[in-house]
Amino acid sequence: MKKRFHSRREFGKLVFAGVPALTALQGATLHAQSAAGSNRSRINGVQFGLQPFCYHDLVMTPDNRRTLINRLVQNGLGMVELHATWVEPRFAAAGVSAEAARDRIRQWRLTTPPAFYQSIRKEFDDAGIAIFSYYVNLDDSYTDAEIDAVFKGAKILGAEGCVGSQGLRLTERLAAFPGKHGMFMGVHNHANLSDPDALNNEASFVKALSFSPHVKATLDTRHYTAANGDCLEFLARHHGRISSVHLGDRKRNNGRSTPFGEGDAPIIPILRMIRDNQWPIVALLEFEHGTLRTGVEEVQLMFDYCKRAVA
Amino acid sequence: MSKWRYVLVCGVVLMGSAAAAQSGRRAGYDVDFIGPPLADSVMQYNKESYVTYGCAYCHGVDLVPRGEAADLRQSAVVGSDVDGSAIVRVLRAGIPKTSKLSPMPQYSDLSDQQLNAIAAWIHYARRRDRLTTITRANLSPGNATAGRTYFEQRCSSCHSTSGDLAGLGKKYEPARLRAQILEPSALAGDGSFKVDALQDSRIAEGRRRHHALLENYSAGQVADLLAFVQGLN
Repeated sequence: MKKRFHSRREFGKLVFAGVPALTALQGATLHAQSAAGSNRSRINGVQFGLQPFCYHDLVMTPDNRRTLINRLVQNGLGMVELHATWVEPRFAAAGVSAEAARDRIRQWRLTTPPAFYQSIRKEFDDAGIAIFSYYVNLDDSYTDAEIDAVFKGAKILGAEGCVGSQGLRLTERLAAFPGKHGMFMGVHNHANLSDPDALNNEASFVKALSFSPHVKATLDTRHYTAANGDCLEFLARHHGRISSVHLGDRKRNNGRSTPFGEGDAPIIPILRMIRDNQWPIVALLEFEHGTLRTGVEEVQLMFDYCKRAVA
Repeated sequence: MSKWRYVLVCGVVLMGSAAAAQSGRRAGYDVDFIGPPLADSVMQYNKESYVTYGCAYCHGVDLVPRGEAADLRQSAVVGSDVDGSAIVRVLRAGIPKTSKLSPMPQYSDLSDQQLNAIAAWIHYARRRDRLTTITRANLSPGNATAGRTYFEQRCSSCHSTSGDLAGLGKKYEPARLRAQILEPSALAGDGSFKVDALQDSRIAEGRRRHHALLENYSAGQVADLLAFVQGLN
């Protein structure tokens, strides 16, 4: 019999020599997928994207942005709601007071040139991913100039609007800003029924939407369901003012988040409603339920569930 | 496929499998997020329950909270909970009224077994965190008088300085003595398969009490206790 390997060490060298080739092959596959364009996750008229909190193990920092992009491509997603933490530097550090860190990030926002945002947009463009919206935790500490700077940066990124989970009082103040930039301000609901300022039900959404035509609903189907709201009724009544849905499942009565199809959120009817009416509402997949699987594996299951729903 | 190629492909697959097994990687298990599987399979089940039902998303796998969630390493409810029942009560009801953005959900759809598994992981993770934090701290000089007071309040119902602890100060080096205070070797072993040890009521009660102490020790209290016990010659 012909001798194949002289030693285990030689065999090991041979095996590990194959690793770079496999990596290169994977890179080529990613490139090929990127070439598919920004509509790679438009399925039967429904535009899907991702709220990338989903990759639980991935800390949302600029350093991890490349990994985020690779994972989005791996999951076949061509649209994202990008949280500002993937973009902005962090100034909080040992020895830096919270006040000093806050001042530094404000200065950064006010002085960062457009080229910074353009280069980030290029990273996503090159991967065939459109940034649909820019999620920012706006609060009372933001000056007017700073809010304008956030909207300007988001626009350069390609976002159509900024989204946040702020309450009604702050939304009223913010309502004056998106129109100046030709954008929308998305208001995102949670399930807190004990806070009169919170976005949590239809009445609170209606109030927020009344502040400006540029305010739009980012309907979180999980939280709306947990707050015992009816997502389908909300869509039927307010679809013209809904920019996107954060699509996920949860049980009613402040119940827990669940894998798609195991809770009370009517995910399939929601998607078919959007599809059948051709509403331009982006379905941003999001999960906060537990799983032992990796974020990429879980997102794939969620996305496959949705694809079957609109097939 | 030639034999040569067949052997190569098999080799690559085997090497990959071996590497995956060594790192704890397997399909359907996010080792980067959850951590490698534990040797104690029951505690691993508890951990997986905690992750599967979504607790880790907000409170962190090892109780390092993400976002606005409560820090269970510092929670008074967890610290005062003896047998999991206080945690289970909170899990069943949730915390609907809150000034936070998102209220804690209720888990009333889960079984007692599932809820108790979650509580067991929370206690275990809190003990591991406290043990690691205090063990990593430098051995700082404590106050023996304060240590005596703590001993009399929390330890003297089981231990005696003239009995089982007599001469303890000479028996161990300070670092080893601190380790004994934190996790007595006589009670060591959470191993789920050590049925005899688990069924020994004295050991079980001792372990329960020391677990409760460990979950709530501060570094200062341990330094004080150490200073006191070192003087037991």
